[in-house]
Amino acid sequence: MSTTSTSPPLTTSHESAFRVRLRRMGETSGRVLSNPTTLGGLVIIVVMVGMAVLAPWLVEPNTPNASQMPRDWGAIAVPPGSPGHLLGTTNTGGDVLYGVIWGARTSLRLSLIVVTVTVAIGVAVGSLAGFRGGRLDEILMRIVDVFLSIPELIFALAIAAVLGPSFRNIILALAIVFWVKYARIMRAQVMHVKQNDYVDASRVIGDSSWNIFRKDVLPNSITPVVVQATLDMGNIVLVGATLSFIGLAEAGLAEWGVLVSEGQAGISGGRWWASTFPGLMVFLWALAFNLLGDGIRDVLDPKTETR
Amino acid sequence: MTAATDQRTVLAVRDLKKHFPIKDGALQRVVGQVRAVDGVSFDLLRGETLGLVGESGCGKTTLGRVLAGLEKPTSGGVYFDLSEQQRTELDQALRAGQGEDLAQLEAAHRVDRLDATNWRRFRRNTQMVFQDSFSSLNPRHLVSDIVGRPLRVYKEASGSALTERVVGLLEQVGLGRQHLYRYPHQFSGGQRQRISIARALALDPELVILDEPTSALDVSVQAQILNLLHELQQNRGFTFLFITHDLSVVRHMADRIAVMYLGRIAESGETTGLFDDPIHPYTEALLRANPDLTGDDEGFRGLEGTVPDPARPPQGCRFHTRCEYATPDCGWEIDDVVLQLEDTPALFDKLVGVERRSPFDADLEFVDASAAAALETALHGDEVPSSMKAAIEQVSVGAQTVSIKFREVNEVLLTPRGNDRLAACVLDALPSRD
Amino acid sequence: MTAPATNLQKTDAPVVASVRDLRVHFKSKAGIVHAVDGVDFDVRDGETLGLVGETGCGKSVTARSFLRLVPMPPGIPVSGSIMFHPRQRCTACDGAGCVACDHTGRVVSTCPACSGTGCSTCEQTGAETLDLLTIPERDLRSIRGNRIAMIFQDPGKALNPALSIRKQVAEVFYAHRSDELLASAGIDPSSHSLPTGLLRRRATQQSRTLENVLLSLPPLRSRRSAITAAADDRVAAALAETQIPNPRAVMDRYPHELSGGMKQRVMIALALACDPDLLIADEPTTALDVTVQARIIELIKELQQRHKTAVVYISHDLSLVRRVADRTAVMYAGRIVEVGDSEQIFHEPEHPYTRGLIDAIPGAHHERGRLAAIEGTVPELIDPDPSCRFAGRCDFAAEVCWTRDPALEPVGDRQVACFIHHPPEHGEAPTFDRTAR
Repeated sequence: MSTTSTSPPLTTSHESAFRVRLRRMGETSGRVLSNPTTLGGLVIIVVMVGMAVLAPWLVEPNTPNASQMPRDWGAIAVPPGSPGHLLGTTNTGGDVLYGVIWGARTSLRLSLIVVTVTVAIGVAVGSLAGFRGGRLDEILMRIVDVFLSIPELIFALAIAAVLGPSFRNIILALAIVFWVKYARIMRAQVMHVKQNDYVDASRVIGDSSWNIFRKDVLPNSITPVVVQATLDMGNIVLVGATLSFIGLAEAGLAEWGVLVSEGQAGISGGRWWASTFPGLMVFLWALAFNLLGDGIRDVLDPKTETR
Repeated sequence: MTAATDQRTVLAVRDLKKHFPIKDGALQRVVGQVRAVDGVSFDLLRGETLGLVGESGCGKTTLGRVLAGLEKPTSGGVYFDLSEQQRTELDQALRAGQGEDLAQLEAAHRVDRLDATNWRRFRRNTQMVFQDSFSSLNPRHLVSDIVGRPLRVYKEASGSALTERVVGLLEQVGLGRQHLYRYPHQFSGGQRQRISIARALALDPELVILDEPTSALDVSVQAQILNLLHELQQNRGFTFLFITHDLSVVRHMADRIAVMYLGRIAESGETTGLFDDPIHPYTEALLRANPDLTGDDEGFRGLEGTVPDPARPPQGCRFHTRCEYATPDCGWEIDDVVLQLEDTPALFDKLVGVERRSPFDADLEFVDASAAAALETALHGDEVPSSMKAAIEQVSVGAQTVSIKFREVNEVLLTPRGNDRLAACVLDALPSRD
Repeated sequence: MTAPATNLQKTDAPVVASVRDLRVHFKSKAGIVHAVDGVDFDVRDGETLGLVGETGCGKSVTARSFLRLVPMPPGIPVSGSIMFHPRQRCTACDGAGCVACDHTGRVVSTCPACSGTGCSTCEQTGAETLDLLTIPERDLRSIRGNRIAMIFQDPGKALNPALSIRKQVAEVFYAHRSDELLASAGIDPSSHSLPTGLLRRRATQQSRTLENVLLSLPPLRSRRSAITAAADDRVAAALAETQIPNPRAVMDRYPHELSGGMKQRVMIALALACDPDLLIADEPTTALDVTVQARIIELIKELQQRHKTAVVYISHDLSLVRRVADRTAVMYAGRIVEVGDSEQIFHEPEHPYTRGLIDAIPGAHHERGRLAAIEGTVPELIDPDPSCRFAGRCDFAAEVCWTRDPALEPVGDRQVACFIHHPPEHGEAPTFDRTAR
């Protein structure tokens, strides 16, 4: 006497798991993009990333080192719209357009490297601490506490003082400081998700710890990390630009912070462009990732993620 | 259900304890133990349904989790799959203490000491269905993944063969192929519980532990699930351990019932007998408090007081603090005096300390002599149950102290009461009510 | 739709509240959910009305509508009225019980507009009538916790964790009984002198910092503490009434220090503190163990008899409602399908849903595996077409059940909304003999 329940309209029988998952992903992205501000953020990001990737084709790379700004000593501090210098030049003849476009490349490199490295370390440490628990958790979390007590700016200054100012050292300093945040978020999430009965159910089946982590715990814990990483893609560029601005990067680097710093001397003389354009870029970059991050959070928040 | 010849015992539980440490302070020092399960023994025979009933905090869920292998026992043993002869041997070996025979039996059958092959066999054969069907299904997995997962873990099937097996399982629980590629949140509570059941059935286990499987469901849906469970047991010969707080449900489903109170089994026995003629006062109290559709209002009554702290269970019978039939032999102790004092703030505030020589014998020190005298008077008052008064062997009032000595009582153990019944009560039968 | 229920009552006790054509809908992504869709019933003085049904049947929304506790939005008040007739102490016997008040100690308040002679506001009844769905928020506040009280499923959530039990219970007296507090502190509440004004503001908990300073100075201090003491006495008495052992000690505890059963007793003490005319109990024992539940039920019954309060008892547990309620209303999918005397309903249910529900409860008479499950699930209540909401799960449904709304109409002493009992004028009527589908 088997019993059947009435159900909402059936999915067709030739449906496959792959299609259902694909459709769910599509629906989720659709929901993310249905918010106009999120979409706006994404458009800015696409333009910025496009600029970074296509930099060599947009502006001819400087030789021998493309990441250094070219100097045109024949056109010092010319205003935007001058021939050959669409956005003008700095006091030292640096082309602002070149700085803005190649700066996008530098920023993308910075944020991608830092976020990838810190997320990897943070997720690994946080998962280990949260999933294993016990003594290991204690030790790892004390280490995290130590790192949390280091202010990032001062730490970066210290690194620069020891290793000398370079953009590579900025990346290093930020990577060392930023992973702890992910470790904490991840640990809290894992400890929360671990309590769900579906984790126990998988243990009762006899699945391995690794599989339980991979299939049950990780996918259900990762959302806040993804959101935070998106927000940090913007924040890191902001911090990076600050550090370059105060002179922790190599002089003359095609980077927004460096360019703002180079142009600031001219502001009092009415030469606004050399600082304004790269400043605007930093602002837009940070804004865009924050908009996208918020949009993702609204949709992926487990509380709203039903029906 | 009568025992057939060579009735196999799916689980033999012997003096099982599960304590959880209470940690306190910056150094997380262990300051006490919550005795969630505190000395439980029973047998679960193949093909039967054993109901485990009790109120919140009685340890039934912890017991279920230990039996499912989710928690390691603090002490005592859970033995899996014994023949009748092995069970007799086990009990003999346990009585004899450590020995060659015991070591051999434990390696092959004791759940927390199994070798890899036997553990795998236990793991496959003991499955569980949880109360909360929301939390027990991974929200990111499709039904096909959830129900197919056990088969994947044991590499029983893959590809389209796996899909067909999953469809078969879904059909057994009243779902179908059309449900394969949907997410758990697309189902109602009853349907989700069916998915949970299908997952538990996938490996064709010997034992299914059902932890409040219908408590979150509406009655009409509960009836569907109970019917389904019965049908599956009929067809596939499962052994069920049915954990619930609902007496009507357990009466309907279980062949035998064990009633738990504060980490112990208070009474166990065959369902009908236990319901018609309870021996333990706690069983009677549960039955009287159960609002069913047949009884009259006369017998409907609740229980006074609260469940004692499982970190400091009462001496003697654990139920004596709330029992209306309590006798002087039930384990009255100093803690009961302190509890009485707590209800009298005027006196309790004047209590300085309690010097215990044993749980039954202590000096209570007060700030002044009048408070000590007041306690002595109070001990003879109406607030104190008469059985407690009778259990006091000696009271002497010093300057500021009162020495109280109660009758010393051993733990009240489960004793056979005929007809497969066990009860942990000093009384032979419940006093008749007129 | 407005079916007057008067001729069907077993008791002649006056009606405390009558719900007519109550419809509360909810906005959702998928459409408008008809959570409560045309509910009519009366609550009579001193009776317990059980409101029973499964998850999502609208019983909680109905109950919360009494005090306008349904959040709007997403809720949409569509139609209906809840007419409430407050009572007052019988002046002839001062609450002791006499012939004039039918030994209840209280009588219906007279309509303030016409002093009981009958006018349009009170529909010529002469009784004070308030439509709880339309009266101003200010008036409603003076009714909440005073004339109508409510207890909830989870006492842990309903009590404020940051305040002691004393403060929380005292709040009710300060809010609704400030005059009595002043009087017992030896202050004439009608006086208009400055100190009395200050003390009055204290008694209604409106004092500001400066006033508190003034009140802590010698001439007023003793009188202020007299008010506090008067409030404390009342709190202790209220707690004692719910059989809380040692109320003076419990007063200084915080909610987390009490067990679930004890917290629910505090909630009941709070609810009954002002001797309300109507108590709404929304699954008050669902979170409790059975033995504690039984104690709480005994307590509610006992207090109800003493205070002659009308109780609306909401629960999903039929066996429990049978124990508690004099009359029972069975709800399904936003409507009442059957209402009448509890004993009758549980003994001989008339509506197919009530029958199914009672048969689904495992009892001694059921053979294992043969519970009468109601197949299927509750329908989605998004923009439903006119039809019996139960048709999809009903063994007896005929065509008419799918096309028309059955009305709640009398069957013997009861009211049932089913075409089996009220065959349609044309078309084939469903019967119990036939198993369709």
